Amino acid sequence: MNEVLQIKNLSKEYPAFHLDNVSFSIEKGHIMGFIGRNGAGKTTTLKSILHLVHPSSGEVSFFSLDANENEKAIKQKIGYASGTLVCYRKKKIREIAAITSSFYDDWDSSQWAFYLKEFALDDTKCPQELSEGMKVKLNLALALSHHAELLILDEPTSGLDPVSRDELLDLFLDLASQGVTILFSTHIITDLEKCADDITYIQKGKILFSSTLKDFENDYLIVESTEPFTEEQQKLLAGECRSKDGTSYLIRSCDQNAFDAVAIRKPGLEEIMVHLERGNHHETASA
Amino acid sequence: MKQLLHKELKLTTAPITWFFILFACMALIPGYPILVSCFFICMGMFYSYQFAREADDILYTALLPIRKKDVVTAKYLCALFLESIAFLLLIVMTVLRMTVLKDATPYVSNPLMAANITFLALALLIFALFNYIFLGGFFRTAYNYGKPFIFFCIAAFIIVGFGETLHHLPGMAGFNSISGEGLTMQWILLVPALLVFILLTGLSLKISQKRFEDLDL
Repeated sequence: MNEVLQIKNLSKEYPAFHLDNVSFSIEKGHIMGFIGRNGAGKTTTLKSILHLVHPSSGEVSFFSLDANENEKAIKQKIGYASGTLVCYRKKKIREIAAITSSFYDDWDSSQWAFYLKEFALDDTKCPQELSEGMKVKLNLALALSHHAELLILDEPTSGLDPVSRDELLDLFLDLASQGVTILFSTHIITDLEKCADDITYIQKGKILFSSTLKDFENDYLIVESTEPFTEEQQKLLAGECRSKDGTSYLIRSCDQNAFDAVAIRKPGLEEIMVHLERGNHHETASA
Repeated sequence: MKQLLHKELKLTTAPITWFFILFACMALIPGYPILVSCFFICMGMFYSYQFAREADDILYTALLPIRKKDVVTAKYLCALFLESIAFLLLIVMTVLRMTVLKDATPYVSNPLMAANITFLALALLIFALFNYIFLGGFFRTAYNYGKPFIFFCIAAFIIVGFGETLHHLPGMAGFNSISGEGLTMQWILLVPALLVFILLTGLSLKISQKRFEDLDL
């Protein structure tokens, strides 16, 4: 068993939202992109995994240990960073790091110094003096300095400029090659194309897909046709999207034979996501 | 736990909280309802909760390698630590008024509550109410601190009113004395007050830990 994180049937009910039997797992050294549109349930899932949200049901295990029974030991081995969370805005970074370090058995001061330099962070400053991108880097530096074996990152690249984003993704690749496992949520699809091994796609609180990036891309095709589809073909459409050149449709690769008379091409990751999310556009509009 | 207390004091406790502990010195003011000083001490702790919410302190703490319920324990530990310092200061002020300053004219002619063991017992009750009403109320949401503080204010001023009224009741004058037989009555009051403090704080801690486990942050 090489699974670092395993989630089984995780559910959480809110009055207006329902996280519905979310299940997926990540293998050691893999980078998993957790994608879905805003409000799909990405943050709720990540917070449930981290025990910040109390799930209605389901099981979470890290390193084959039950999350509820081994909370303290597990948290020693994981790191969390978010693109939006910035704690103690008015305290000096040096003070925050000193306190944080006292909780981790494996805190590495030289690693902290390395990331301060790498991210050009000045530890005499307060978080409120940093730009949005630098705040993300601060969170990451704190998460990376205790030799976490699993990094759970919520929109870590949001607010970063393209160069910083690329540097960060390079860092993810380096860490993964050292055996660190990374689960990160994002809606910046190009990030995934660069570094993700696996994709977990969540839509309206349900997992639509969880497998390798390659499988995800190979699972869908784009159909472009100006001719109307037959009733049978329409049933096979997984999504559609309009542009000035016409409408394109998403189908499952296994249904390709039903569309042999029209132009078919392989979609990009972003195209798949947009088509899937816009899938019911016309049905909703006509309803 | 030592690390958590250190974290609370270094990162979460607002400077004004420390300053408000000095309000214990108000116990030296003659002709003043001195139990109000305990209310101010609690108000100082309340300011730290405002600061903590602004700083996303609860989320930061919950992400540390500790159990979720330890986030609650840390807050109670910090409150107990600050209350202990304040209480020690109140004891010093009380001892001063009962010994060195006992014959000072402003205190001899003081119509209001004297600084004595009754005062310390009622101070403990105010701290107990802070722990039970404010801390317990805060951990219903780990976010809203306004309503629990208003409820605490009401309860605290009932105790202040009780303290100022008690010694005016027939046969109760001994509760306001600083020497003689009255002191025995006062010691008898201090023991249950201490028990109430321990009981309410412990109960509040348990309830808050349970509530916090089920909370969504």
